Amino acid sequence: MRPVLAMFALLLLPASAAAQLPDHPISNADGTATLGAEVSGSVSRRDNVAFFNYTDYDNNALRMARLRLTGEWRPHPQLSFLSEVRAGTNANVEVAALFARWRPVARWNFDVQAGRVPPVIGEFSRRAYGRDNPLVGIPLAYQYLTSLRPDALPATVDDLLRMRARGWRPSYPIGADTEAPGLALVSAFHWDTGIEAHWASDHLDLAAAITRGAPARPVVKETNRGLQWSGRAAVMLSAGFTAGISGARGQWIDRSVLDLKPVAAGVSTTQTFVGMDAAFERGHWIIRAEFMHVTFGLPVANAPTFTTPLASNAGFIEGRYRFLSRWQLAARAERLTFSDVRGTLFGGAATPWDAPVRRLEGTAGFRLARTIELRGGYQYNWRDGGRIRRLGVPTLQFLYWF
Amino acid sequence: MRRGLIVPVLACLAAATALAATPYARADFKAGNVRGHVQQPAATPRDAHRPSVTGLGQTAHAPIDRSHAVVYIDAAPRQAFDALPAGRVRLDQRNQTFEPHLLAITVGTTVDFPNDDPIFHNVMSLARGNAFDLGRYPRGRSRSVRFDTPGIVPVVCDIHAHMSAYILVFSHPFFAITDDEGRFAIPNIPAGTYTLKVWSELGSADAKRITIADGTTLDVDFEVSQR
Repeated sequence: MRPVLAMFALLLLPASAAAQLPDHPISNADGTATLGAEVSGSVSRRDNVAFFNYTDYDNNALRMARLRLTGEWRPHPQLSFLSEVRAGTNANVEVAALFARWRPVARWNFDVQAGRVPPVIGEFSRRAYGRDNPLVGIPLAYQYLTSLRPDALPATVDDLLRMRARGWRPSYPIGADTEAPGLALVSAFHWDTGIEAHWASDHLDLAAAITRGAPARPVVKETNRGLQWSGRAAVMLSAGFTAGISGARGQWIDRSVLDLKPVAAGVSTTQTFVGMDAAFERGHWIIRAEFMHVTFGLPVANAPTFTTPLASNAGFIEGRYRFLSRWQLAARAERLTFSDVRGTLFGGAATPWDAPVRRLEGTAGFRLARTIELRGGYQYNWRDGGRIRRLGVPTLQFLYWF
Repeated sequence: MRRGLIVPVLACLAAATALAATPYARADFKAGNVRGHVQQPAATPRDAHRPSVTGLGQTAHAPIDRSHAVVYIDAAPRQAFDALPAGRVRLDQRNQTFEPHLLAITVGTTVDFPNDDPIFHNVMSLARGNAFDLGRYPRGRSRSVRFDTPGIVPVVCDIHAHMSAYILVFSHPFFAITDDEGRFAIPNIPAGTYTLKVWSELGSADAKRITIADGTTLDVDFEVSQR
């Protein structure tokens, strides 16, 4: 909590002192190396029961301090090396991104990136950080922890149903016996490792990637000898409307677990992602929406069992309106649902494999300076399961970037 | 941030208005000229992109020309305010750069901000007294702002952080932007004694006390040293 308090101590800085902070990236003499940063701090009430906002980063997205340092070195106009080093409330320091960007032909708007690269799927996945996110919270699809774990598997459907609404610390009989968080449908905080290509024109944007993990399970080190194929195509209309479709397929279960549990022929162990996104930006308005259908192949051999992959649908719509130069209002409505499975629990009735969640959030923001923003808001969550089924959370956030 | 510089310059620009209320010693309008040269330090690449780690490719933009400076007198006689040349000027958005990078205008001037890029831009400033936010608009569209308060207006694009420009708004017409060689000329300054100053993004220069005599042209040179 101390880092959060330290972050909010910045709020006590007089405006004139805050104005002395840099608002441009720092660069060397010839401009080939640049350094940027983002400092964010969020506070909200403690949530040690419902865990609505906990992330695969092991902390509450509404109660954390974070420092991001981003660097770019461009030894050649067509080649650059980019990195992000991140430190968070839990004091861990992580190299969250490290990749090379190469533009083979200077006049073509075509780039290849290799290393620990940003995801190509979806729209929110590349703007999960404070400045690009108009609200304090992260969309459920990218943050909410489901009960699935890559390193531990249920032996029966009942094992899975027992973990409904317990994505913060699900445990299963097969695989790892240590406590660990479950998986979000798509990880917004960890990036996958591989190679990707991107081409854009005035009205079309195409990207494709081959990486090591899965949307929910980005990795640096190989965990299952599987590959993820992902891509996105988007059209941009001059009216300010952008629409995209995305798809991905990758192995999400660790090999160490699959070795413990031989998979029957025809049983999928992959995660598939199909998504649509749309954005409208005009004047002082930004409206964005995203919908995704995600399936997880899950081998469960003991009765009671099931054969179809576990499915989940998630979607959100958000809007931001800016007024009087310094003020903005933003709101997001979202829903996360899960397909039904049938075990012996719940009277043998068809039951969603994890508890569906709905969320509403609103935020008001004020720009103290061009690169310093204060936000206050309120988030309300509903869940059809778990000990806490409704939770309202007031939030405050401080952001500074250069 | 440039507040440390902006505040004193703002004060000078405001002082021009205050002094205008003071009766000027000369009843007739005799005028002279001042011209000279501003030596600037080498520009540093402050227009560097914020590292685009979340991006899927390069974004290219034209380099920013920061070599120009504005030379101005910090207070003007009353008759300077009788007929200010308030008109319309353009500040284009082209190749993810504002063109020109530096504008100097009188109060009451309207600045048009046409977008010539194939992408959206969002021109804005949080300058005290001249804050505005034009929102996002596409290629071929233009939005305008009328500037009624003297001061320095840092202009940015809220979407593209590497885009920046400065507009200096004066309450009198006695200012000039240096040309590509650093030369400037301010004509028809009413005879009298003034303080001549330089505003430069690259540094600062000592102000100079000058006396303008009727029908004469005064040569004044400045050397801007890097901050």
